[in-house]
Amino acid sequence: MKYISKKDIEDIKERYLKKASLIHKHIVICAGTGCIANGSLLVYQAMIEALEVTGLSKVVDLTLDIHEDDNSVYLSRSGCQGFCAQGPLVTIFPDEIMYVKVKPEDALEIIQKTLVKKELIDRLLYINPSNEEISKGPSEIPFYNQQNRLVLGECGKVDPESIEEYISHGGYIAAEKAFNQLTDKEICDMILQSGLRGRGGGGFSTGQKWELTRLAQSDKKYVICNGDEGDPGAFMDRSLMEGNPHRIVEGIMIAAKAINADEAYVYVRAEYPLAVKRMKKAIEDAHKMGILGSHVFGSKQHINIHVMEGAGAFVCGEETALIGSIEGHRGMPNRKPPYPSQKGLFGKSTVINNVETLATVPLIIKNGPEWINSIGTEKSKGTKIFALTGHVANTGLIEVPFGTTLREIIYNVGGGIVDKTVSGETIKFKAVQMGGPSGGCIPEHLLDTIVDYDSVIATGAIMGSGGLVVMDENTCMVDMARFFLDFTQKESCGKCTFCRIGSKRMLEILLRITQGEGKQGDIELLEELSEQITKSSLCGLGQTAPNPVLTTLKYFKHEYEAHIRDKKCPAKKCKPLITYEINSGKCTGCTACKKACPVSAISGERKLPHLIDQSLCTKCGMCYSKCKFQAITIG
Amino acid sequence: MNDINVVLNGKNIKGNKGEYILSLAKRNGFEIPSLCFDERLDPYSSCFVCVVEIEGMKNLQPACSTRIMEGMKINTINEKVFKARKTALELLLSNHYADCLGPCKQTCPAGVDVQGYISYIEKGMYHEAVALIKETNPLPAICGRVCVRPCEVACRRNLLNEGTAVGIDYMKRFAADYDLFSSNKYKPSIPAATGKKIAIIGAGPGGLSAAFFLRKYGHEVDIYEAAPLAGGWLRYGIPEYRLPNDILQKEVDNITEMGVRIFFNQKLGENISYKTLKNKYDSLVLAIGSQKGTSIGCEGDDAINCLSGIDFLKAMELSGKRYDFKGKTVAVVGGGNTAMDCCRSSIRCGAKKVYVIYRRTEKEMPANPIEIHESKLEGVEYIFLTAPVKVNKDKEGKIKSMTCVKMELGEPDASGRRRPVVVEGSEFNMEMDYAIAAIGQKTNINFLEDINTNCDKGELNATKWGDVDANPLTLQTGIASVFACGDGVSGPATLIQAVAQAKIASLSCHQYLTNLPIQPLQKEFISKKDNFKLQIAEDYVGKFLTQMREEMPTLNPKERNNFKEVELGYKNEKIAQHEAARCLECGCVEYYDCDLKKYATEYGAEQNKFQGKYNESPVDFHHPFIEIDNNKCVLCSRCIRICKEVVGANALGLVNRGFDTYVAPSMGKRLQDTTCESCGLCISACPTGAITENVLFKPGPVKLDKIETICNYCSVGCAITIHHKNGFAMKITGREGIVNTDGNICKYAKFGYTYINDKNRITKPLIKEGNKFTEISFEKAFGIIEEKIKNVKADENVFFAGARLSNEEMYLIQKLARAGAKTNQVASFHYLNRENGLLNNSCANVPFNQIKEASRIYLLGSEINMDNAVVGFMIQNTRVKNNIPVELITNKTNSRLINKVDKLLQIKSYYYFVKALNHYILSNELENKLFIKNNCDGFDKYRTNLLKENYSELVKKAGITNELVTKFAQDYNKELNAILIFSEKELSANACQEIFNLSILTGKLGKTANGIISLKEKNNSQGLLDMGISPERGVGGISITDKGLIEKMKTQWGINELPQSRDINVKEQLHQGKFKNIVVFGEDPIGCAIEPEAVRNWFAKAEFVVVQDYFLTETTKQANLILPASFPFETGGTFTNTQKVIQKFEKQFQSNMEYDSNAQLIKLIEKFGIKGVIEPSEVISEIIQMLPEPNNTKKYSFAETTDENRCRLFDYGCDALVKYFEDKYVELLNNEKNS
Repeated sequence: MKYISKKDIEDIKERYLKKASLIHKHIVICAGTGCIANGSLLVYQAMIEALEVTGLSKVVDLTLDIHEDDNSVYLSRSGCQGFCAQGPLVTIFPDEIMYVKVKPEDALEIIQKTLVKKELIDRLLYINPSNEEISKGPSEIPFYNQQNRLVLGECGKVDPESIEEYISHGGYIAAEKAFNQLTDKEICDMILQSGLRGRGGGGFSTGQKWELTRLAQSDKKYVICNGDEGDPGAFMDRSLMEGNPHRIVEGIMIAAKAINADEAYVYVRAEYPLAVKRMKKAIEDAHKMGILGSHVFGSKQHINIHVMEGAGAFVCGEETALIGSIEGHRGMPNRKPPYPSQKGLFGKSTVINNVETLATVPLIIKNGPEWINSIGTEKSKGTKIFALTGHVANTGLIEVPFGTTLREIIYNVGGGIVDKTVSGETIKFKAVQMGGPSGGCIPEHLLDTIVDYDSVIATGAIMGSGGLVVMDENTCMVDMARFFLDFTQKESCGKCTFCRIGSKRMLEILLRITQGEGKQGDIELLEELSEQITKSSLCGLGQTAPNPVLTTLKYFKHEYEAHIRDKKCPAKKCKPLITYEINSGKCTGCTACKKACPVSAISGERKLPHLIDQSLCTKCGMCYSKCKFQAITIG
Repeated sequence: MNDINVVLNGKNIKGNKGEYILSLAKRNGFEIPSLCFDERLDPYSSCFVCVVEIEGMKNLQPACSTRIMEGMKINTINEKVFKARKTALELLLSNHYADCLGPCKQTCPAGVDVQGYISYIEKGMYHEAVALIKETNPLPAICGRVCVRPCEVACRRNLLNEGTAVGIDYMKRFAADYDLFSSNKYKPSIPAATGKKIAIIGAGPGGLSAAFFLRKYGHEVDIYEAAPLAGGWLRYGIPEYRLPNDILQKEVDNITEMGVRIFFNQKLGENISYKTLKNKYDSLVLAIGSQKGTSIGCEGDDAINCLSGIDFLKAMELSGKRYDFKGKTVAVVGGGNTAMDCCRSSIRCGAKKVYVIYRRTEKEMPANPIEIHESKLEGVEYIFLTAPVKVNKDKEGKIKSMTCVKMELGEPDASGRRRPVVVEGSEFNMEMDYAIAAIGQKTNINFLEDINTNCDKGELNATKWGDVDANPLTLQTGIASVFACGDGVSGPATLIQAVAQAKIASLSCHQYLTNLPIQPLQKEFISKKDNFKLQIAEDYVGKFLTQMREEMPTLNPKERNNFKEVELGYKNEKIAQHEAARCLECGCVEYYDCDLKKYATEYGAEQNKFQGKYNESPVDFHHPFIEIDNNKCVLCSRCIRICKEVVGANALGLVNRGFDTYVAPSMGKRLQDTTCESCGLCISACPTGAITENVLFKPGPVKLDKIETICNYCSVGCAITIHHKNGFAMKITGREGIVNTDGNICKYAKFGYTYINDKNRITKPLIKEGNKFTEISFEKAFGIIEEKIKNVKADENVFFAGARLSNEEMYLIQKLARAGAKTNQVASFHYLNRENGLLNNSCANVPFNQIKEASRIYLLGSEINMDNAVVGFMIQNTRVKNNIPVELITNKTNSRLINKVDKLLQIKSYYYFVKALNHYILSNELENKLFIKNNCDGFDKYRTNLLKENYSELVKKAGITNELVTKFAQDYNKELNAILIFSEKELSANACQEIFNLSILTGKLGKTANGIISLKEKNNSQGLLDMGISPERGVGGISITDKGLIEKMKTQWGINELPQSRDINVKEQLHQGKFKNIVVFGEDPIGCAIEPEAVRNWFAKAEFVVVQDYFLTETTKQANLILPASFPFETGGTFTNTQKVIQKFEKQFQSNMEYDSNAQLIKLIEKFGIKGVIEPSEVISEIIQMLPEPNNTKKYSFAETTDENRCRLFDYGCDALVKYFEDKYVELLNNEKNS
């Protein structure tokens, strides 16, 4: 097959940009999984229809011939734009107007008012919940303007299914440079100088990993892109794969060149069908175009990339287990050393990098190592993508430079906690859980911790792959630890003793504490087990599984003690430890609670104080939420 | 250099590059525990029991998979490491729902190994059973009668619907009586005298037991007894109808026969003083008992005829006269076993009426229920909830009546029993002639002063209850040299408790005498199901077959007006063995070998530390040889890994994830429906009892003895260990041998041992009379054979030797033929018709240990996983570990090897395939000319003749395309380290010859990791070729016409002439019926023949047939005279394996035959007046004398073959043993399928 040259790439880019210049307006509809779930594809369809109705000439594929037309509108779908809580998102270029929570029935109005009459539709603009200010577009929205979206870059702008569009944004230039202007050693050096560290959580120097693999003696080498993103609530890798798959292909190509591999695997969770589809399409398109395959960019090297769908085991994100899984074995970690760089896939030297890491690589090659080196802190360079969730105003996918403080992320990007109590006060922040289920909780007094690998570890949490769950004061920290441990414990592969049985025992202890059956000595037992499991587990899953317990014990031990000693849940979340009672002084006898109670535990005559029968009460909290007079108290 | 310097526990040590910490530590004497490490497998690191601390590393590291590095500082044991290991073990144990021991042994105060002795009883091994019991209880016949049997209360059989425990005590009594009345009763061995002397006070159960245990340490023991006879309470308290005095005396005699002396009528503090004893003895053991009776304890209890139970019973025993209660009314007060003895004795003394007055109800009675039952049968009446308050006397002071009150049960008291409370106003009077108080005993320690005034140091004290005060753990008293045991310490208790204490006191006393620290034995870790949940009926009902208890036959209640023993004992062995079968075998069969238990003990692990959810799974008994008990699994995956990495069968896998993970046969099938090859390597890999052998007998577990020998099935020659007890084999394990260097063995060795236990073994010569065989003496048999042989012409005799015999036997057989019968007609059915083509097979074979260096392995006509599995393991391991491809060339369409090879070549004929290869190589001049020139003979002729043949025809007959032959020939020829493996079982002699031709044609023969490996069928097939089992070749495989050999035979055998006949076609002669006498050693040609009728005819034509074998076979049935054969380990000798490795095995067990196989042959040879060895052990030196000088200049010869012929005529290597196992194997696997 014919390979593609630098000139070919430039030609494609030029042709595409030329066509793009003919476009009058560009409407980008977010087609990330979140927005799709909220109906963005229906919005897209409605837009097409609306354009037809209004008679504007619409373009949906820039690779086709288009005619110069003053009114041409290019309608495209992008990958995830990150602001998932506000989806479906519709952005209009060049004006950079962003409409949020758009419904299909808004389509016609958008076309008629904004495109034709150039009017803004206030109703669809983003309103900042903290100050009620209306923002026109991303540059005015704090969620966006407080970020530094480098790796996410084109993600949310380009059409992920169009290789031409990727190329038009400068895609594959870095790969071409790597193959034709750099030696493998030079590439490794550049990555090393850039200070890039593995974004999967470990934070190991990517350049060092590549260099070790490059030097390893092996008749065949592999590159593996680890897209087995398993942390609950994390979707950084998914968004990248869905939003800009070619960037990942390009990153893989550069890695392959650096270590002289001719085969690569992209390991994606089968639960990410869209990511699988888009990665497959990207690889196929790159093949068709002659970017992948034999004699890449005219070199002697061949590269083939396969997409492998993971079967759903969380631990397959661990590199040795992932390798075993590709080889067709049960996904179970093996002891390191040997590291994959020595003995990896099918016994051959292998580089295995996380999606985000590989997506960063083309930027480094393109812009030089100094560029990324200038961003971040001394030991953590560049930016990090986080999935920000929990009790904050703005949840979604964000990217910030290393060195940003947690407070900045939560309050500036995330907009802080805006929920109010029944009595109207803003609910207080309690902790942020960082690093996924194996991460830890960081309390308020440490909110000025900066985000970099070492500072985070000092708090007891870990950087992890980028989960950030913000929790307000209504969160029970024991229950929270139980929740995360429940996850890791279920995902233990069952191989090593401490993880298999130790984490089970810890979970049992947490469970009994939250059920009010905690015993004296349970905290000590938890501490003992945590220490042993951390010290003597085979892989990262086990070694970090006790983290949620360790950090909550470190910062919130009093909550454990309250559960065990006083049989009370301070956050009033552990059902067996709370009671709902009606304050007869405040009760007006409106019967709202009585009607709401699903088990008929509330009795009382109209206009007379009601009473809850504790033997029937299931503590569902319905009465509490229905009472308008704050007459129901939780004890 | 490969040296790496490390610091191991503070010591500078040199290690090898790439070495793991575990093996380095082991080499340097630091044992690191591990459950998942197996030397045969790649490290895995799942158990984390082997963690060590490495300086500079944050976490602890598993030693099994951490390679040493320069400068590494390793700590294999410190507090951190110890704690981590202990936690790992405790976590594993928290999910180890299993019993190490049955509740019977756990409950027994003396810890008698019930399950162990039941397993002996099941096998009829009563002496062994008694020996085992006597490790902890020296009085089994007594205990078998009067024990209170806590074991039976704990027995899990109680939970089954049938509701009765296993008759443990009944069986014990049976075994003990059997032993007691046999001529060769068990006698414990006594070590050399220690020179220490011990005095024991009291010859009751405690004193007798202490004497037994102390004597067994080698000390001198004297007992001082206050009474005129020995037995203490056993004699003076327990009436004869329960424990006859002669039984008691026999067990006392057993102890005095060990050298223990008893001095009677000696009472400490009265007629013998501590002062005397102290001077004479090094130590003193007080076993004084608790003999003081207590009275009723109410007003008037000093009345005449108001007796204490103890005095009542003792008086009768001492005087030899029973009380005359004729027409009298007797009331016994109390509810314990003494009360039972009193009431039942009263009946026997002729009482008109006997009451038992007890203040609680029957449910609360401490007496043995069986006693209550029997007493009722005998007419005793019970008055429950009643207590005496006053004894009313007549004017003579005799008892007249007793005032009693009614009681009711109140709240439970400290003992857990409900406290009886007096019912107000319920007084009533009972008339009676005698009242016997059986409400307790007291210890009499009136010798305290004597001791304390005479002792130099320390003080003997009494407890607040008036018993002897001693340390409860060691039973040492306040005086260092004085120990105490039995009722005198504990207050009135049971026989078995006294025995248990005697053992503790004896150990402490022994420690004292040998200057060891005085401490009780370390408590071993015991896993218990009860630690997880109370066992209930649902756990057992439906899981075991119902079998009602063999009840104890008793004397008819009407015939009990005497002191004759009531319980009569099991009638016969069948009943005892039938009862033994009821044992549920709760204890783990790996009790003695479990690593988990060993480490748990070492690290003091507790099972309850991390209590939580546990997995409970049914035991998988589907496979006839392998049982899987996931409850005991620690998920080390050794079974899975060995099945994959070594066997290549991949029959096991992990199911589920996390805490729910378990091991199971692949794809949810039954093990035998998977690719399992039943090799049993999984069993060898399991560190606990999760995968064990599914045996048909009760394995105990008991401590076994070992016989180390060489496997007598196939020709690989694996070293094995037979674990047995007095000849009953219970387990075979592999040993690290010359051939099986990692100790692996296959299914034949592992499971094919039950023949050793077969009760149908022939042990005496049998002569056929009519249609029946009758036993005759060896002398007579030898005479008959001699006569028969001499009565016909020399060459009308023919001798056959089987391939399973030792070299020594083979040598003697051909000596018998050549020197004795003067004929060269000596052959083997095993090689009949094809011997010549196979001669070259073992010439310059690649040694097995070079298989791992191959670059490619070819299996040509070898079902290696079935027939020579251990070599198969070596191949598979090479394939998995070193990624070496294995290619299978087979004519079978159903070869089970297909899953285990990388390439398959399906052909029709091995012979034509190889011949076509040779043709191709020659016609394309690909042969290794230099090699042929230097090393081979006969090339030109071979080349000329082969090239005359039509190549296309050869290819066609091979059943394969020309392209494939061409490709194979080229590739094979080019392959640097090509090892071609074939077996004589699958290939004709001519095919083997052509393979040999191929190996020299390509110049591969004899080079390192290159050439051929031939596999023979039997353990000593090679011996047949080497020992002269051939009409034309003698010892050393050289021609019978060789002058040197002739000379040697003449001198060694002391004969002038050797037989001249040269008719080498034995098969044809058999066919023509030329032989009048056929003598067969160790072969079963009729049973194993592919065409049995033809073979049967050969035998029918003979006049006299002699067959030597272990069992009756098809061939022995045809014989006129049968000789018994001995097992290899009963004779000793050598086998030569398929690679000419000669392996010696020793005689390690005495058969119960008058003459073993070797001795029979020597005797027979003597009959013909031939000189030579008389001792079997000398045979080997005679053989060595006969062997030719090694000839290094000999060249390899090409030999032409004509067509595919000279196939084998017999299956199973013509060995009945192989047939015996294979038939059973197939039957068992199929049986299971149907069930």
